[in-house]
Amino acid sequence: MTKLLRGKTPLLVGALCCLLVMPAVAAAPEFEIEIRNHLFQPDTLVIPANTKIKLIVYNRDSTPEEFESFELNREKVILGGRKAIIFIGPLAPGEYPFFGEFNPQTALGTIIATDETDAAE
Amino acid sequence: MLLNSVVIVLREVLEAALLISVFMATSRNLGLSNRWAAIALVLGGIGAVVYGYLLGPVSELFDGVGQEVSNASLQLGAFLMLVPTAFQIARRSALSGRHGEILPLLMAATVLLAVTREGAEILVYVSGFWEVSDFLSAVGVGSLIGAGIGLSVGVLVYFLLVALPSKRALAAYGVLLLLIAAGMALQATALLIQADWITVSGAIWNTSAILPEDSLLGQLLYAFIGYEASPSATEVIVYVSSMAVVAVAFVAGRSRVGSGDGDTA
Repeated sequence: MTKLLRGKTPLLVGALCCLLVMPAVAAAPEFEIEIRNHLFQPDTLVIPANTKIKLIVYNRDSTPEEFESFELNREKVILGGRKAIIFIGPLAPGEYPFFGEFNPQTALGTIIATDETDAAE
Repeated sequence: MLLNSVVIVLREVLEAALLISVFMATSRNLGLSNRWAAIALVLGGIGAVVYGYLLGPVSELFDGVGQEVSNASLQLGAFLMLVPTAFQIARRSALSGRHGEILPLLMAATVLLAVTREGAEILVYVSGFWEVSDFLSAVGVGSLIGAGIGLSVGVLVYFLLVALPSKRALAAYGVLLLLIAAGMALQATALLIQADWITVSGAIWNTSAILPEDSLLGQLLYAFIGYEASPSATEVIVYVSSMAVVAVAFVAGRSRVGSGDGDTA
């Protein structure tokens, strides 16, 4: 038993290190939006400027969509009924439009990066 | 819907069509058979169907950034194939009468990877709207028009390159390969940034007020030279250094022939 445990010590130490490091690595604040009937909900998202964020996009439609933004340099296909994780930023303060490439007439939204502290929630 | 389908499919087809036409013109110029292109297109088509079908589960990998990682891998794979391809093209073009088997193989592998990625995206789009019946005609017709325009541009580029005198043609292939390769490396980098596998500290300049990426000129420049209005330092470094790598491969291919020892593959 002790032999077994001794063999696993590096693993345990490794796991402990991971636990200690993980919160720092996964510090990117998370934001969520939905696609419903080819519309983004909400269509405006206020995020902190100069901070990398993790955006989770849920596609509630049965058809695929492509989250796209020239200003954000982002492009990702989200199949029907699935979600996508997209890292964004750090951004300078300003407005960054995004759209659904497969339904560009309706699926429109804007990310607003702001310095104001209440944006971080 | 119709115009949108044209744009979506055109953007995907254009990139692959440019690559294929540059390679096919090179093949013809070097007196190689173009059979590799047919094989690469068929295998790439199969690859696109398989990849498109697996895109859902693939996207879930690596904590939800599997799509970025797999697309970046296909792009990087194509870039890594382009480096020896540039070397071989430069070498063969000065070496009349000696035709190895490696060049068609490299070109086929590059095209296979490019077609798999671009084709999968088109298939996801078209098949996604297949069941929405009233959209189908617009999506179907639009996609065909988009594909038609993309292929036409490819054919045009092919005949322009073939019509060039062979000395000039080599320089043209060199420049086109540099741009295509740098564009691939840049797109792979952008995907890995999006996946948070590469950390960047923000854009180092922003020219979107002067030349927006979504303008017609911006879109064309994106397709040809990978135009990016607000790049990060990492992207600029990757772009410049990937060009340098291909340029070195090209020049090395030339000079090996010049020094007279370029006879074995």
